Amino acid sequence: MLIRTPPSWELPESAATPESVYLNRRALLKSLGCGAAALALAPHVLRATTAGFPTRVNPDYRDPALTPTSYEHITSYINFYEFGTDKASPKTNANKGWKTEPWTVEITGLINNPLKIDANDLVAKMGGAEQRVYRLRCVEAWSMVVPWDGFPLAKLIKLADPKPEAKFVTFSTFNPVGAPGYAGPALDWPYLEGLRLDEAMHDLSFIATGIYGKPIPNQNGAPLRLVVPWKYGFKYGKSIVKIDFVAKQPVNTWQAMQAREYGFYANVNPNVDHPRWTQASERVIGAGGAFGLRQKTLMFNGYEAQVAGLYKGMDLRRNY
Amino acid sequence: MPLLAKLLRSKITIWVLLVLPAIWALKPLFAPEPSDADPLKSTLLHLGLIACIVLVTVLTFTPLRVLWPKWGVAQALNRHRRLVGVGAFAYALLHFTAHLLHVYDGGFVTFWKEIQKPFQLIGLGALLILFVLTITSLHAAIRWMGGKAWKNLHRLAYVAAALAAWHQADARKIFPLQVVWIFGPLAVLEIARIWKQRVTASPPRGTTPAQTS
Repeated sequence: MLIRTPPSWELPESAATPESVYLNRRALLKSLGCGAAALALAPHVLRATTAGFPTRVNPDYRDPALTPTSYEHITSYINFYEFGTDKASPKTNANKGWKTEPWTVEITGLINNPLKIDANDLVAKMGGAEQRVYRLRCVEAWSMVVPWDGFPLAKLIKLADPKPEAKFVTFSTFNPVGAPGYAGPALDWPYLEGLRLDEAMHDLSFIATGIYGKPIPNQNGAPLRLVVPWKYGFKYGKSIVKIDFVAKQPVNTWQAMQAREYGFYANVNPNVDHPRWTQASERVIGAGGAFGLRQKTLMFNGYEAQVAGLYKGMDLRRNY
Repeated sequence: MPLLAKLLRSKITIWVLLVLPAIWALKPLFAPEPSDADPLKSTLLHLGLIACIVLVTVLTFTPLRVLWPKWGVAQALNRHRRLVGVGAFAYALLHFTAHLLHVYDGGFVTFWKEIQKPFQLIGLGALLILFVLTITSLHAAIRWMGGKAWKNLHRLAYVAAALAAWHQADARKIFPLQVVWIFGPLAVLEIARIWKQRVTASPPRGTTPAQTS
């Protein structure tokens, strides 16, 4: 007799929110004429960047070998120190009334087309959102597979039109001090991340506005979040308010905190250990239950063929 | 005798207090919250936290008695030094076991790579000390070693506590204040105890130690 064991990430059909309900939610709130009150009473429904949904799946970025991690795990097991330093807090604290819509992002620096733009308008300008399934590897040696919705970063860079002297791009997270749910000083806010311009222009570099075809929840970095799947998760700057094109290599927040442990490049590399643990293998979130085995970590998180060329001739042991 | 002291005199109370946290520690394995996305890791962290707290707890017993010799609670607690001390080792061992499972990759390659890192060596050092103290915790060991040698050996518990504090602080990316809340009170009690013992160890001139004791 065949007894089918459902994998842990599998949700019953009954758990899915019907699309019509989901799409009508905001319209319904508005039609009730008390949108603001409803939002205040139900802070958990606050979500941002509603433009571009439903998204279209981009088949070029959907590896059938990858099993996406459950929505529940992706949106509950989180490092977002602005809202607490443990994994569980951000989901609670980022939904205590912190508003991520409307949201303005500033694109500035060494570019020909500086602009301040509403996040929804930006998505529309980028031609809407698409869905890509990427591996995510945290520097803490765990991994997920996430269906991100959003647009290629290269499109935004083309819009900004960088000047020849622009060599790096920085991504600033909002300043959390005073925001509802702010958990207190942990890092030097605002959180800053950066990429070399050619890394940022790479096909894989992505700005996420959603997860699993829904607007990205606050705790996951709403409304705009950087996604660079061949790098460790801390490079994925969340809740971006400023994208700045600069000439010199920036010092990212974690590098400033602890340069011995966290570098600028932060490329996933099984051959270069963290000072306190090995990066050769990782725990796969949600796979195999509590006693699931580790899997080997892949060079550049499995994107070696696509990105290795960016680092030709570089000593990756020194540029970790 | 006040009720609390009476309760704490009972071995059953101490057993219950020692075992209850294990239920909390192991819960993620059986009923994980969504934020226990890696349930074994949650359990591992919980067990380590409990081990630190139990170790600190048992080390407060002596200073509490020295500082407040007539306090019933302090007297009651000092009946259970061995049991609680062994409890600290038990939690440390469970923490280590959870770690072994967590890094198990079909073999022990990951374990071997990681155990050489200072962060893990420090924790291992604390565990080894607690192991030695546990196997020498029987009355027979005291007789066999002689009271003085035994006492000196068991002073290693303070080294274990220092290593545990270091290990706990090093486990996070940012210094966790938790370490101060857990180990701080012990440090304060120890300083007070040493101060008091110094004061009483230098009795006024003209009296002999026998008279003052």
